[in-house]
Amino acid sequence: MNLRIWIPALLLTVCAAASAAKTDLDYARLRASLNDLAADPALGKLAPAERALAEQAVQAVAEKGGNGDEHKHLVYLAERRVSIAYATAQAIDQERRLDKLDREHDQILLAASRHDAEQARLEAEKQRIQSLAQAEEAERLRAEADAARAQGEVSAQDAVIARKQAEQTKRLADAQAKEAALSRKEAQLLAEAAAADARSRAPAAAPATGASKQMALNDSAFAPGAATLRPEARSNVSAIVAFVNRDKTKQIRIEGHTDDGGNANADLVLSQRRAEAVRDALVGAGVDSRRITTFGMGQAQPVASNTTNEGRAKNRRVDVILEDR
Amino acid sequence: MTLLPAKIHRPVAVFCLLLAACGPTKPPPMGIEDATRQLQAAREAGGSTYAPLEVRSAEERLSLAKAAAGKKDYEDALQFAQESQVNSELALAKSRLGKTREKVEARTRENAQLRQDLSTNPDGAGANSQ
Repeated sequence: MNLRIWIPALLLTVCAAASAAKTDLDYARLRASLNDLAADPALGKLAPAERALAEQAVQAVAEKGGNGDEHKHLVYLAERRVSIAYATAQAIDQERRLDKLDREHDQILLAASRHDAEQARLEAEKQRIQSLAQAEEAERLRAEADAARAQGEVSAQDAVIARKQAEQTKRLADAQAKEAALSRKEAQLLAEAAAADARSRAPAAAPATGASKQMALNDSAFAPGAATLRPEARSNVSAIVAFVNRDKTKQIRIEGHTDDGGNANADLVLSQRRAEAVRDALVGAGVDSRRITTFGMGQAQPVASNTTNEGRAKNRRVDVILEDR
Repeated sequence: MTLLPAKIHRPVAVFCLLLAACGPTKPPPMGIEDATRQLQAAREAGGSTYAPLEVRSAEERLSLAKAAAGKKDYEDALQFAQESQVNSELALAKSRLGKTREKVEARTRENAQLRQDLSTNPDGAGANSQ
């Protein structure tokens, strides 16, 4: 009816917003900071979900330009979102460094243990050669003793020889025992390394497809105690992506849960990080990060009894829930 | 149009308006619950140590949000809750970074020490030290 009034008014608003955005120093500053992060060779590729959230927050500042309280509020949020993106990228970078240092640590220990075993082997070999030489010596002495006895002299030399031989045998046995212990330790370290390797390659079980509003990703998708998705869990993630994309108008709530073993606070953090890992995977698969909220629930909401192994395994999960806006 | 339907329409319209005005007795979601949970998580992740400023801001804004909600100022409540939550999330991220940095430093020192032990004492005493 009064379209003639509305259209110019609307145009005016749009123009005002656009010019405000242009002159908005806050926006320029936040935008530059975010661009720097994206261009950073070490950090640019890390924390894509946090960066996407920061991107949206900065964009919101541009769209709601001008001054006023709402603008201030949006700048406040955007500043912190950008800081979160930085801190998370730096944390991931540090976590990778830590992984590398841990591997180095294991290698140093393994090398040291090998060195020990090698030393023990050499020592045992030395003892064996010495013992051979002494056996020869003893043989020679015995022959002399025999000769002496033949001359009618019963000698005390025999006793000395016997004691010497016994001593040498004991030393040899000690060296061999030491060598065996060190070899065992080396084997154990190797077995542990192999087991760790095997664990990281173990396949993750398929997620249970629950009711139409909810889907769970069980804990085999993660390494024990870790918050990164195993590569094998990719197929589960694509199932979840298909599930959440059935209705793109719905909000996605991702909740991490743990069993009641372990420290409650640590579990809270771990469940939050696992929920975030699932969110990152979904965002990586093209799901709009604005739809997603993540929560770490820790041990608070078990779905089964924590008194059995089965129940605990059920409680360690990440729930993906579709919610109405 | 006759006069009669118009007369009926008016009371109906007034009634509808009244209904609409009294309608939203249930407050809209303000994010206070989520902000509370996020603050709890930030505290438990060591936020008070690694990001004390952010945790304090989150606490302040959460209480402002609650106060606004008490005065039925739902828009302000939502804004404060959002600001509180984003501070808690930043505290979480900073705690994660701080803790990992500490571990990296400790591990670096440990590895250097181990290497030194092994090179000064090549007979393997270093292998037993942790």
